[in-house]
Amino acid sequence: MVVPRGWPWGGVPLLMTAGSANTASLNIVACVKWAELRPEIDPLHGSVGDQPRGSGLSSSDLAAIESALVIAEAWSQSGTESSVTVLCAGPEAADAALQDLLAVGVERVVRLELKEQRSSAQVAECLAAVLTPEHLDAQLVICGDVSADRGSGSVPAFLAHQLGAVQALGLIGLEPTGSGRLTATRRLDGGRRERLLVTAPAVISVEGSVADLRRASLAATLAAKSKKIEVRVLRTDSPVEVHRLRPWRPRPRVLAPPLGDDALSRILALTGAQASSTSSRTLVLDPEQAAEAVLEQLAAWGYLSDAPPT
Amino acid sequence: MSNSDVPDVDVPDFDVVVVGAGPAGSAAALELARAGRSVCLLERGPYPGSKNMYGGVIYGRVLDSLIPNWWEEAPIQRWVTRRSTMLMTGNQALTVDYRSNTWGEAPYNGATAFRPDFDAWLAAKAEAAGAVLICSTTATGLLRDGQRVVGVRTDRPDGDLTARVVICCDGVNSFLAKEAGLYPPSDPANYTLGVKETIALPREVIDERFAVRGNHGVDIEILGCTGKVPGGGFLYTNAESLAVGLVLSLPELAKCGRRPEEILAELKSHPAIAPLIEGGEVKEYSAHMIPEAGYKMMPELIGDGILVAGDAAAMCLAAGIWLEGVNFAIGSGAAAGQAAARAVQRRDTSTAGLGDYRRRLEANFVMTDHRKLKDAPHLVMSDLAQQQLPRIACGVMEQLFTVTNPEPKPGLRKIIRSQMKLNNLKLRDAISQGVKALRTYG
Repeated sequence: MVVPRGWPWGGVPLLMTAGSANTASLNIVACVKWAELRPEIDPLHGSVGDQPRGSGLSSSDLAAIESALVIAEAWSQSGTESSVTVLCAGPEAADAALQDLLAVGVERVVRLELKEQRSSAQVAECLAAVLTPEHLDAQLVICGDVSADRGSGSVPAFLAHQLGAVQALGLIGLEPTGSGRLTATRRLDGGRRERLLVTAPAVISVEGSVADLRRASLAATLAAKSKKIEVRVLRTDSPVEVHRLRPWRPRPRVLAPPLGDDALSRILALTGAQASSTSSRTLVLDPEQAAEAVLEQLAAWGYLSDAPPT
Repeated sequence: MSNSDVPDVDVPDFDVVVVGAGPAGSAAALELARAGRSVCLLERGPYPGSKNMYGGVIYGRVLDSLIPNWWEEAPIQRWVTRRSTMLMTGNQALTVDYRSNTWGEAPYNGATAFRPDFDAWLAAKAEAAGAVLICSTTATGLLRDGQRVVGVRTDRPDGDLTARVVICCDGVNSFLAKEAGLYPPSDPANYTLGVKETIALPREVIDERFAVRGNHGVDIEILGCTGKVPGGGFLYTNAESLAVGLVLSLPELAKCGRRPEEILAELKSHPAIAPLIEGGEVKEYSAHMIPEAGYKMMPELIGDGILVAGDAAAMCLAAGIWLEGVNFAIGSGAAAGQAAARAVQRRDTSTAGLGDYRRRLEANFVMTDHRKLKDAPHLVMSDLAQQQLPRIACGVMEQLFTVTNPEPKPGLRKIIRSQMKLNNLKLRDAISQGVKALRTYG
């Protein structure tokens, strides 16, 4: 399977079906990622150490799977047969752990082998290509909110866009309310909560605190040993090119030698202590202008360029 | 269990359940699977070796018959070609260093390895032969039909697993063997605490400091480095890290009121050790109990429907000169697997039916070596070996090599006698202990 690169700016096709009354069953897909859980990052040059057996599913991914199982049970009880599929982006090393998921009630596990490094948008494209009605036919997609390997949490948003589905991201609570519907709780600033009514087709992401994955029975664990993991290998025609790995920190600033008659005044000049600090700004902008402003500020701080800021 | 809970054992889930996927358990499962028996290998960690700690050398000769040419695929760190024994006082060290490049060529002698790598490799062999490996599952108790063991209860929902034979390879302080009544009440004096730091260093730095090249490595055993607590120390080279640690008598450690990491810090700062580990980054600190007393603490190895192997059966050999564990675990595990397979085939898994296990152990190195060296652990932990011997040996060397001109050189006999006197060792005690050591190791 080859996934063409390109953002569908010309219009987002509706790739998820609603299921509901006309559909005999609903398919809930938990999208997860096999990632380094405790990456060891060299503080000097930012290289990531190779940790054999340090990989796995993050707590939020496990919460996504448990949430999918809970919702499927509730929807099935309310009259619409529902099943859970796990779609995992990861290498062959993940297979043994993924097989265990077949023991907890997951009906089908598909491992997506991504051969090249990809951006979040490209990962979402790959996932969307498998979630279509021709393949997994997902009515509800549940993701962990952030992948363990320093993810930005953007894949679920890209995925919702790709699939043309509604999205509710970074959820801290989920409650199935009826066939194809659920109530979601999201954290807001200031300790406030937002409650959302979500109807399939939708893409949601959950924090790790939402649920703990249930423990499989011994009989189910033994039975799962003979089940197979489906594998799909995806290649993209234009993978992301990684020019250089570097630590996630601002570049050093080039400063003129500090002026001052004594050491204290030179240190004060150098550090900017006692000088007025940059005050926070409130900008009211439309989304495109806001994005530009954010990029501009990040560049000013030195995050977006290898060259030291002047 | 109540009688109503007695499981149906006419058609058990497996012929044999092996508890613990360490070297003993995997060797047992491998033998059983190869004999065509259905076998389930239970492991409480997320993967074999994940719960294991070992600071030692793996001697692989026992694998020759189990996995031919095992050295071509076993995940080892370095082949040990230098074996050193160091006697140490607070600021002195006397080292006897032996090097053999023969040990660095096939079929090799011993190797350092990371247990998560080695145990997972051995368990994969058992799986490939047909054993069913179930990880993240703890055996919490035995299932019984009267006195007969008919399976194990696990911590999973609906977690009972029935079998004709249960082989306990659940490590030191085996709860299952104790529950089966195979162990007498525990004596803390039979146990030591092993503590270990894994210190990362670049490969070329290790090669330089330890005078080795390629995949050759060093094993240093140390006596006199544990203060007033009887025990010993060790330092092993891995590919890009060192394992430095201590083995400490459990009751004496408790009595002295010091923490093991304090004693380990003293060893690391010793002038003979500090330059070897300098600049390294501590990646891991771990601790584990060791069944130090070996033969004298071994449980009943066979019960009705149950066998005990590996550290669960105190098969670890802590005999001073020889410090071995994994090879004894593999040897006993393989013997248990063979005996269980035979008993299942003959449909007699009673204590008598499983008696072949004992006979196999007696016929190979496992029980022969343990019986022969049964007094060695006590000898190594004696005051003479722990306190007086390192001080006298280092003192003699100090006097022997210190040039005292214009005073004439003292004779060797005079030096030895003065050091013995200084350390309150009488000649008759030295002779008595020497004879005892000769009898033990001879």
